Amino acid sequence: MSAETTITAEKARATSGKPRTTSWQRKEMLTAWTFLLPASLLLLIFLIIPFFMAIYFSFTNQTLIPGPIPTEFVGFRNFARLLQDDTFHRALLNNFLFGIIVVPVQTTFALSLAILANQKIRGIYVFRTIYFSPVVTTIAVISVVWSFLYNPDQGLINHFLKSISFGHIPNLQWLNDVHLALPAIIIMSIWQGVGFQMMIYLAGLQGIPDSLYEAARVDGAGRWKQFLNVTLPQLRNTTIFVVIATTILAFKLYTQVAIMTQGGPENATITSVYYLVQQGFSELHVGYASAIAVIFFLIVLVISILQRTIIKEEGQG
Amino acid sequence: MSSKRPGLILPLLIVLALLLAACGSQTAPGSNGKVTIKLFFHSGQGSERNALSASLKAFEASNPNIIVDAIQLPEGSYTDQVHAAALAHNLPCLLDFDGPYLYNFAWSGYLIPLDRYVSASMKADFLPSIIQQGTYAGHLYSLGQFDSGLGFYANKKYLMEAGVRIPTVDHPWTLSELNVALAKLKKVPGVTFPLDLKMNYGQGEWFTYGFSPFLQSFGGDLINRSNYQSADGMLNDPASVAAMTWFQGLFKQGYVNPKPAGDTDFTDGKSALSWVGHWVYPTYSQAMGSNLLALPAANLSQGAKTGMGSWNWGITSSCKNPDQAWTVLNFLLSDHEIVRMTTANGAVPARKSVIAQSPLFAQGGALNVYVQQLQNGVAVPRPITPAYPTITTAFQVAVSNIVAGANVKSELDAAVKKIDRDIQDNNGYPPPSS
Amino acid sequence: MAVTVRQQISARKRSTPRKLAWLIGNYILLVILAIFFLFPIVFMVVSSLKSNEEQLLSDLSSLKAFIPYGTISLGNYSGVFARLPFGQYMFNSVFIVTMIVVFGLFVNSLIAYALARMNFPGRRLMLAVMIALIIVPFESIAVPLLLMVNNLPWFDGSTTWIDSYQVQIIPFIADAFSIFLFYQFFIGIPKELEEAALVDGASRFRMYWRLIVPLSRPVFATVAILQFLTHIGDFLWPLMVTTGDTFRPLMIGLQVFFGQQPRSWGEIMAFASMITIPILIVFLLFQRWFMQSVASTGIKG
Repeated sequence: MSAETTITAEKARATSGKPRTTSWQRKEMLTAWTFLLPASLLLLIFLIIPFFMAIYFSFTNQTLIPGPIPTEFVGFRNFARLLQDDTFHRALLNNFLFGIIVVPVQTTFALSLAILANQKIRGIYVFRTIYFSPVVTTIAVISVVWSFLYNPDQGLINHFLKSISFGHIPNLQWLNDVHLALPAIIIMSIWQGVGFQMMIYLAGLQGIPDSLYEAARVDGAGRWKQFLNVTLPQLRNTTIFVVIATTILAFKLYTQVAIMTQGGPENATITSVYYLVQQGFSELHVGYASAIAVIFFLIVLVISILQRTIIKEEGQG
Repeated sequence: MSSKRPGLILPLLIVLALLLAACGSQTAPGSNGKVTIKLFFHSGQGSERNALSASLKAFEASNPNIIVDAIQLPEGSYTDQVHAAALAHNLPCLLDFDGPYLYNFAWSGYLIPLDRYVSASMKADFLPSIIQQGTYAGHLYSLGQFDSGLGFYANKKYLMEAGVRIPTVDHPWTLSELNVALAKLKKVPGVTFPLDLKMNYGQGEWFTYGFSPFLQSFGGDLINRSNYQSADGMLNDPASVAAMTWFQGLFKQGYVNPKPAGDTDFTDGKSALSWVGHWVYPTYSQAMGSNLLALPAANLSQGAKTGMGSWNWGITSSCKNPDQAWTVLNFLLSDHEIVRMTTANGAVPARKSVIAQSPLFAQGGALNVYVQQLQNGVAVPRPITPAYPTITTAFQVAVSNIVAGANVKSELDAAVKKIDRDIQDNNGYPPPSS
Repeated sequence: MAVTVRQQISARKRSTPRKLAWLIGNYILLVILAIFFLFPIVFMVVSSLKSNEEQLLSDLSSLKAFIPYGTISLGNYSGVFARLPFGQYMFNSVFIVTMIVVFGLFVNSLIAYALARMNFPGRRLMLAVMIALIIVPFESIAVPLLLMVNNLPWFDGSTTWIDSYQVQIIPFIADAFSIFLFYQFFIGIPKELEEAALVDGASRFRMYWRLIVPLSRPVFATVAILQFLTHIGDFLWPLMVTTGDTFRPLMIGLQVFFGQQPRSWGEIMAFASMITIPILIVFLLFQRWFMQSVASTGIKG
């Protein structure tokens, strides 16, 4: 970017011969700042400053409602406690599990759906719309409806499983079962999110020129080979975008847990953000909750940087 | 979304936004000498809300100089909202709290003592449990219109079929009687889960209110009440562990449904017993008529124990017109209004004078069992300490996990750790010096 | 390309029955997937029409959950209107979200354009910070933000933003993820048009307004959709900053139903349907256009 504008500026200098480069550059800088100002100011006031306030709180014993115990500096006490906090460890683990399962599964599912929905057959638009519809439903509503569906005795899901297995599958406890609660939430989240990724992949697919497929066919490649050698590489950028965005979203998991399981059973579904809210709002420990926020941010930052680095390296060539 | 935005629309939108925002955030104009008292209340049962609205209307009719601005907050997140309002210095003059959440507020300085408004005779007319609930550090901070009753509702037909004795407050069920009864009731045709524990309410205050009496009946407790400094040795002592192990057993043996889809297991006839509070009485009695029995809590070894405490009202320290606020509160606490409210929600009236005249609660009334429990010490208040929010959250989590099959001792130990740490962090919650 | 026409025709003739089987199989798969994606929503709407609560609950475990039968009425819907000021809540939600989206499109695209096209000191740093900000979850700054907005003045003389529209709008106008999406799109636009305009002496703003914005319809639409969906579901913040019904949005209404006993699932489903159906209808009307926009943005990613 900077190269381009400098070249243009030099062009201007070269063509006009008049000494208006400095004022042009100054004007450019001024314009830049005008463009930057509104968003920067808003982000600064409403995101960055509160974030630094949270960092400050993490070193104190701040409570939600100020009381007789004055807010004091407690150094690293909150962080030391976090290190030993089993619930927090479990929350991080759940976030990782969620990410590691959802990202590949949802992405693969989305790609498969996109390929399926890319066919030029009649009524395909209807199907595309249907597959996308969960995306426009708010997650709170979805969580409520799915809690019904997951009900052990009266829920439809168990009923369905029973009927297709002729009664061999017992009433699964789903949201009440330590091993099934997180998978239950994962399934529901994938159900909601896959439509969006599908559309992104769909566009990616439609952007692949037919000539590439023709060339592959002439070389004797079958469907599968074409997929591996033409489709996948062409979708690289799309996949990167989808993977990184989904990972970050996976870490922010909150609403589903709050509505469906409240972190249980036995912390099977607790997530970092849910724990943060519980500590800060229900138990009034704002200092501790802020420490959670800080550690959470650092971890996700590291993961995102790692992701970008790994992907960039693979991309060279 | 059109990308052509004629230069006019954006500025227009800005002006519109500013206008609306400006109009919106203006406070209601004060009017000629009248005082406005802002009031928060939790949005509970429909009938409760209607009763309160009617009471406030009646108040305004007889007190034209005081306007009551009543704001309803959803019950599910009521306490969170009150906390947010406190943080924003936006508390109203009058608000109600669920039982023991009062103490953290009083300790934090948000409430004024009501001592100077309440005469000795008025105090004597209230149930001792109400006074006990409202007193913190030697001062009376709140009064409620009603107290709660918690016991076993029973399906008479099922009990008779299973040959189970009808208990009284003087002769409640013993632990073995209860266990045997549950086993028998499970075999009665039509019964799927003999005992309904309202698990459909989800993890929340119900877990502590409804199930900590089991701890106490076994001889354990949530915290050491001698000085409220530690839960260690109380919440995790053998008695408490025994209590929660028995509780877990109820689910394991299939006596209780851990996740009912709806609220109707008892009225549908799927359950024979329902351990729940007074608030279901209107629904239950309508559904079951004379087939409904209200039975006292059982003696699980150290005496029958049940819960108590309910929503109560206090005046905030930021209130600019405490005297007028008291006028409103006093009106709500009058006999007539208490009758109105308790008829609507089936709760135990807070004043003895009202109880004596109530067909439901007076001697011989269907719900007199609650009054007896409240007066005979069967009812135990939840811990009177500002640490209550932490205590209840820790216990709720433990209950959820125990229901799901976790190890009882480790869950209770974990709860103790959380509670003790909170108390230490707050230097033992020293009572305000005044 | 060396295949003759005759060969093509006979190839087609040969494989028609196979093609038919393939086609049918395809459709079956598509329909199964459609059922998978539709059933919760259908369940929700059908349940909302059942005004008999007990029947609703007993229907849960069978196919009857999808069939509107029994006591069908709009009773649950009128119940919703009786329990809370749905109209007011809906207006608030629509107003607040529209403001966030409209101002957001403007503000976020401006900064993204500057980051994508202009050179200034600190550009790289700002870009990195922007991307890092995407990670910060709202819940972690909710309390500090509350403390802050509580002390901000406003044009009508009040000293706090609590209980207003602006407190639910202004903090959310600038959004790091939106900026990122705009940025990704802008850097993919070929620079020739702007270079020509520059030489002609056009101002940056002109270029932005006349060149970039019209070319960026897809990303504008995508950002609008995403922000809309995000903020329609906002719950924690409105809960903290509003009391009373004047400024509350729809999602708080959902909480009302969860607190009250007896919990009427029929009414909850009606409420959920009333939130979802309008959005679905809007979506259906614009669906081809929406989906294409989402898709086009993805390519540039």
